[in-house]
Amino acid sequence: MPSLREVQRSFATAIVFGDNGAIASLGIVPGGLGADERIAVYRNNVLGNYRKALAATYPVLQRLVGGRLFNIAIDAFVRGYPSARGDMNRYGGELGRFLSFYPPARELPYLPDVARLEWAIDQANIAADAQALDLATLAAVPENMLGELRFQLHPSVQLIASPYPIFHIWQVNQTECAGDDRVDLGEGGDALLIARGTSGVTVERLTPGAYAFLVALARNLRLADAVERALAAEASFDLSATLKGHVAGQTIVALRAPPTSQPGISA
Amino acid sequence: MPAIALLPHVAGIGLRAPHVARVVAERPAIGWFEAHSENYFVDGGPALAALEAIRADYPIALHGVGLSLGSADALDAGHLAQLKRLVARIDPAAVSEHLCWGRVDGRHLNDLLPLPLTEEALALVCNRVDAVQAALGRPLLVENVSAYLRFQSDTIAEWDFVAAVAQRTGCKLLFDVNNVYVNAVNHGFDPLLYLRAIPGDAVAEIHLAGFDASGPCLIDTHGARVAPPVWALYRATIERFGPKPTLIEWDTDLPALEILQDEAAIAQAIILERSDAVTA
Repeated sequence: MPSLREVQRSFATAIVFGDNGAIASLGIVPGGLGADERIAVYRNNVLGNYRKALAATYPVLQRLVGGRLFNIAIDAFVRGYPSARGDMNRYGGELGRFLSFYPPARELPYLPDVARLEWAIDQANIAADAQALDLATLAAVPENMLGELRFQLHPSVQLIASPYPIFHIWQVNQTECAGDDRVDLGEGGDALLIARGTSGVTVERLTPGAYAFLVALARNLRLADAVERALAAEASFDLSATLKGHVAGQTIVALRAPPTSQPGISA
Repeated sequence: MPAIALLPHVAGIGLRAPHVARVVAERPAIGWFEAHSENYFVDGGPALAALEAIRADYPIALHGVGLSLGSADALDAGHLAQLKRLVARIDPAAVSEHLCWGRVDGRHLNDLLPLPLTEEALALVCNRVDAVQAALGRPLLVENVSAYLRFQSDTIAEWDFVAAVAQRTGCKLLFDVNNVYVNAVNHGFDPLLYLRAIPGDAVAEIHLAGFDASGPCLIDTHGARVAPPVWALYRATIERFGPKPTLIEWDTDLPALEILQDEAAIAQAIILERSDAVTA
């Protein structure tokens, strides 16, 4: 008699890979339906669950490739990237990476970045909450100390840059979009901020300077270094307006303590 | 164990995302709600905030789908820790999971898969239920599942397996009447035989749902109204066990909240008939 682990291993192989040998080894009671038909019920349920869950996470991808191809891609993704957890909230983040080398998607090189955008939106919805930073706290910092400040971004914040116009692609593929849905792939790339505010998750286009600035803050660099990077990316970068705007909009939610220096360890 | 407020012995409804805004805004007349635990394994955001708002006005049961009590793989400590955190936050009237498995060799299939009904599986499940109850510091409700196949290695009848889990671990049972009916049809047994084997004192909650009969066997889709023979079996269940908290589950092709309230009203009427008979 096979052990419980052996039964479960064969069951999973039968469902995910449709392996006939695995089905035969399960010792399924015949009667009415064949063993393969019974396993097919489970295969349809399991693959159907993933298709449905990932279609909810990636509605624009599904629209871009069509329902049939989307389902085929999801089935292939599920085989290659097993779910490791009993909750589905965090499953599917590798879909963009998978699409970057999935042969049928080669003609659509922007798909992986669209997937990253949709995943960022999905995860922003379930990220931790945070209190806003009071502008007065910032105003109270002595001017000669400003450059040393480090900032905490809202836990929902994600910053995505792409050589493709993924924001425009995403916009015209929203169900409520009724206008012209053509996008010129040559119209240039995007630098995007995804964050959850009081009215839900928003996607915002950033200037090259603001993008470089927020990426630097997310990496816990000093304000002085973040400004340097922002100016390198965009000569007309406006620090005061950018900082105030992103504190008021709760992209930036707290001041961080500077990293403690550890004697004996050189950076 | 500290005293835990129990679910009221009335009909409730499964809380689903498309209905949440209405429930928060209108506070409809519903006895209690059940939420899928894993949907709230999140760090923050609007879904968790809405559940907390609803909890302020209704009893909540937390219903797990992913703990995989019957996996040969070890119990997922991270999953259990998330559940514990959610239980502390929501203070639910019941915490339930399924008598099934979902993960093997680290791959989770995120479905409710059938166990071989063997002494090996029974011992393993009881062990896991003990561990979960110890970790949560409260009884777990364990639910019987629909199954579309049986193993030749089975040595225990499903109803004896379910009863033994309750008896050995002291856990409570979430008795899913629709799953009993689906299995009775799919595997050819008398559902009343199942009913008679279940210790009524252990039953702390009942589930009702609709199945799909268009395929090669009955499939538990939670996508339709409760079928007439399932209502008949529910009536027999309430006659045998007395009034129990009863939940209408609906997941696929979710209709308007009013349809779920209609279904809950039918269950409520059956509960009341029985309560009246007891007090008469």
